[in-house]
Amino acid sequence: MAIRTRDKDRSRILFIAPAILWLLTFTLFPLLYSLYLSLHGSRFLRVTHFVGLENYRMVLTDYRFWQAFRVTLTFVVVDVIATTFIGLLLALLFNNPIKGIRLFRTLSTIPLLAAPVAIGYICMIIFYEEGGPINNLLVALGMNGINWISHPFWAKVAVCIADVWQWAPFAFMVLLAALQSVPDEMYEAAVLDTVSSWQTFIHITLPMIRHALVTVVLLRTVEAFKIFDIPFALTNGGPGLATRTLTFNVYTTGLRDQNLGEATAISFLLVIIMLTATFVFFRIYRSEYE
Amino acid sequence: MYRPKMPAWKRVLMIIAMVIATVWLIFPFYWAVITSLKKPADVFKLSFIPFVQFQPTLENWRTELTLRTKEVVRGLSTSFIVAVSAAAIALAIGTLAGYGLARFRYQRWKNRDIAMWILSQRFLPPAATVIPFFLMMRKFGLIDTPLALILVNVTFTIPFTVMILRDAFGELPLELEESALVDGCTPFQTLVWIALPLVAPALVSAAIISFAFTWNEFLFAFILTYSQATPMTVVIAGTQDTQGVQFWYVSTRMLMAVIPPTILAMAIQRYIVRGLTLGAVKG
Repeated sequence: MAIRTRDKDRSRILFIAPAILWLLTFTLFPLLYSLYLSLHGSRFLRVTHFVGLENYRMVLTDYRFWQAFRVTLTFVVVDVIATTFIGLLLALLFNNPIKGIRLFRTLSTIPLLAAPVAIGYICMIIFYEEGGPINNLLVALGMNGINWISHPFWAKVAVCIADVWQWAPFAFMVLLAALQSVPDEMYEAAVLDTVSSWQTFIHITLPMIRHALVTVVLLRTVEAFKIFDIPFALTNGGPGLATRTLTFNVYTTGLRDQNLGEATAISFLLVIIMLTATFVFFRIYRSEYE
Repeated sequence: MYRPKMPAWKRVLMIIAMVIATVWLIFPFYWAVITSLKKPADVFKLSFIPFVQFQPTLENWRTELTLRTKEVVRGLSTSFIVAVSAAAIALAIGTLAGYGLARFRYQRWKNRDIAMWILSQRFLPPAATVIPFFLMMRKFGLIDTPLALILVNVTFTIPFTVMILRDAFGELPLELEESALVDGCTPFQTLVWIALPLVAPALVSAAIISFAFTWNEFLFAFILTYSQATPMTVVIAGTQDTQGVQFWYVSTRMLMAVIPPTILAMAIQRYIVRGLTLGAVKG
């Protein structure tokens, strides 16, 4: 749908110009600047000389990078699978004519726009090893408390639980919206044909909400790669490097250790990883919906 | 919605599952609220119910709001100023671009590609620009100023405002705008006087989403500010460093940080799915 205007091209450009100029200035320029930095050495936050791919070589041979890479990937995979799965279960559960759906839907919006860093801190209180509610409950039940913060494995679990807690409601709301748009006749026909409810789900429900599912997975993948706030607040990247993600590494390398070249090299590698992931997704996404 | 009649045991199981889901959802907030109402001596005990298991107190809130007013008030007001300004700018830019993309056909660069390019900004990890952005702001003397935070957050929220408004304008019937153009309005006047009032709900939800994302942003705020312009997210992060693990204060601050955007979120429930999926799923 396009509108015809008298004064042609000139004034149309003015509508999109601010957005494009803004993004060129504050994303494209910093990105190019970042590329420049990643090819140079630095001292005390000042650029010194051209070093070619030396920073990339240093980063790619640094175990800390690969550790952060594995940690980030773990979080992405767990977050995407768990949020989508739990969200889908909740959506199926609440897609029923039972009282209380509205209230639950309203409550589900709360985590979506709550600051992740605040959620990280509140989870730190909840997972606290000596006197946090979870460990207190475990001890009261006669079990041993879990080392949520000081054990590398459980620290990852704690971060994942906090992250999934925040985002499962997002998957829930998107998938519920999709489920509610499935026309009733589809189910009625299935019931007449006496199809089992599992088959109804596979053959009717799933294809109808496929678009919403793909959207959830895509958006969660993209967002999960950025994870920083929750591990920062909850475990401060620890114990050791156990919950230090790539974004965390960019921060520590660039601003704590003041190594601009290596930090920007890590950030570029992160961009490449994310672009690859989203490119693969878009291939699937596009071929299915156009 | 059509559903076959459920047997009673299935209904009971379902209700149990719903109760568990609800408890899981509200537990962290509930815990934050009661921790903020506990005396330090009660914090590490397993007690869930105020009055029955422990005597609640407003002491923590009183200390927080009297002795530490300066820090908290500065945090809240910085967050507020930054979030409102960033939302306003992103909304203005997004309205123009959204209208342009919905109503005009661009020649040199296809509408679809422009939209995809704007959308792709959301896919860029913030870590990719944080270091150059820090250096740029340092160069311009904007470190520790609200302006630096406004600039960066407008950048992050433009994709939301553009996509939400493009969808909203695209769904309006063309006739009204066409007749306005025939009557001699410029495209800009048509946007302001005819189209804009009709998309008020989309404007509100785009504004709230931008506000909330800015309010919640932590990485850049943490790196770009340290004393004068620290927003609430950075203030809560500092609580631990300066006072050790004082959960009663962490919980008061965390509640103050979380409440404003979440109340707004409930107000736009109907649009939130659409907004957060950048228009990909209609809620």
